[in-house]
Amino acid sequence: MALAIETKGLTKDYRSPVKEPGLWGGVKSLFDREFKDTRAVDGVSFSIEEGELVGFLGANGAGKTTTLKMLSGLLTPTSGSATALGHVPWKREPSFQRSISLVMGQRSQLWWEIPAYETFKLNQAIYGLSDADFRVHLDELVELLGLGEHLSVPVKKLSLGQRMRCELAAALLHRPRLLLLDEPTIGLDVVMQKNVREFIKAYNKRSGSTIMLTSHNMTDVVELCKRVIVIEKGRLLYDGALDRLVERYADHKILRARFTTDVEPGDLKGLGSVVRYEDRTVTLEVPRARMAASAAALLGSYPVADLNVEEVAIDDIVRRLFTHG
Amino acid sequence: MNTYWVAYQIALQETLQRRSTLIMDRLGGFAVVVSLYSFWTALIGDKATFLGYTRGEMLTYVLALNVLRSFVFTGRGWQLVGEISSGKISSYLIRPLHYYGYALALDMAQKTVHVAASFFEVSLLAWLVQDELFLPRDPATWLLFGAAVLLSSLIFFFLEFMISSLAFWTSESGGPLFCFELFLQFAAGAFFPLDVLPMALRRLLEMTPFPYMVYFPVRVFLEKVPPAEALRLIGMEALWLMAVFTAAMMVWKRGVASYSAEGG
Repeated sequence: MALAIETKGLTKDYRSPVKEPGLWGGVKSLFDREFKDTRAVDGVSFSIEEGELVGFLGANGAGKTTTLKMLSGLLTPTSGSATALGHVPWKREPSFQRSISLVMGQRSQLWWEIPAYETFKLNQAIYGLSDADFRVHLDELVELLGLGEHLSVPVKKLSLGQRMRCELAAALLHRPRLLLLDEPTIGLDVVMQKNVREFIKAYNKRSGSTIMLTSHNMTDVVELCKRVIVIEKGRLLYDGALDRLVERYADHKILRARFTTDVEPGDLKGLGSVVRYEDRTVTLEVPRARMAASAAALLGSYPVADLNVEEVAIDDIVRRLFTHG
Repeated sequence: MNTYWVAYQIALQETLQRRSTLIMDRLGGFAVVVSLYSFWTALIGDKATFLGYTRGEMLTYVLALNVLRSFVFTGRGWQLVGEISSGKISSYLIRPLHYYGYALALDMAQKTVHVAASFFEVSLLAWLVQDELFLPRDPATWLLFGAAVLLSSLIFFFLEFMISSLAFWTSESGGPLFCFELFLQFAAGAFFPLDVLPMALRRLLEMTPFPYMVYFPVRVFLEKVPPAEALRLIGMEALWLMAVFTAAMMVWKRGVASYSAEGG
């Protein structure tokens, strides 16, 4: 399969003025301004095949948005290289721009005072869609996103969820082969988040487009992405299957046991760390290597009615990755 | 081309949608015309002419100002400053679109609405004051006037576009834009005919594109510039437009490059 994205040693430094605190610092910066370079993305290399749906994870300021901006051609890297759909993105060739879309959850491209349909008409002209294609694409999006009557209402009168769906429709009208989504479910309620997620999944399946998405919403990632790329402080930390992330970063499993009589939880400390004990049920975190021994000890020495071993939830691991790096 | 035509139509709808903004804008402009009219009527008093303008010509100058303000001085500068500062500009930079063409299309829509409103206001004022007005009879004058005004509005658009592009480097580009707009109104003759100014200052201003924006077109309208001279000055205007357009594109390209380097 052809590669949709390939980056090699992609690096981006930002230059920002440094101001000493206080009024004097302000006056000083008027005449003598110092700058500091901050490395936002540091030698990131990865490749994504056409049609993949990849989650791009990292804490705030890890360099996710900067990477997406480079891949969409908005930013030029300080060093390294990238190709997207065979183009160097920051050359901003119209043929490249016609094949991609970048949706930033907190930014809008819709015209505020008038119905979203007008923005769609403008995008039809910008992307050079024939009337027939426009109709077909729009009908499909209206159906998938449940837009219907929202098309004729001024955008400012729409709810956040309705607006976000219109935003997605505007970004997808030209059927981009590469879709970069930055926090697509931010600010939406749970039901709306689910709708948007289902839409993204359906769109990926139906159009075969490559999708790369960042999200702080773990459900988004777990439900949508088989593969994730994790970056931390600008560096690539992990690139692979979401399931494997568990094996690699969870050094323990969860052991849960229900007893027939009361047990002193303090006595169980030797088997693993006790997370919870209630209703005669204990939840233990046990290092992978000691799992068999701990389970055997538990069965041998305690009145166990039921016992099961579970992997740590993926979202817990990703959350830990974000907080501890 | 189709893109810009659609953008024009959408912007037209939006301008009409924002009724209260439009009405406030027009009321403000109307107040300026009324005060300028009162001011000049008081100055002329019983004199037959003042600074070479008859009473009718001066009234025409003031009314023409209202139309020209609506056609020439309506750029998209503040929008550009806002879109650069907020980062919204990003959504245009990744689409196959020339932002300046798009902004010009939006501006033309704004001009369409404002010029229509200004014709209404001017007719109302002319009817109210029942004064004589100067209306050229020679169609050539109208043609020359039209050409001069079209060029001047484009010069204004790209000058403002250039100054607003400073927002790519500083978050404080609203200041220069504000000063520019104020100075421009003075230097273009939008407060008073430039004949009021001392000769030395006028000579100095004539070396800039500013007098071409209001003063020159109105004088063409009042037939105070012989046709041959008017043609020569329109040629000068075209040269200014080319220079301003080139400079604006240079600043814009560098701004976008800097934005791409520094981050949005």
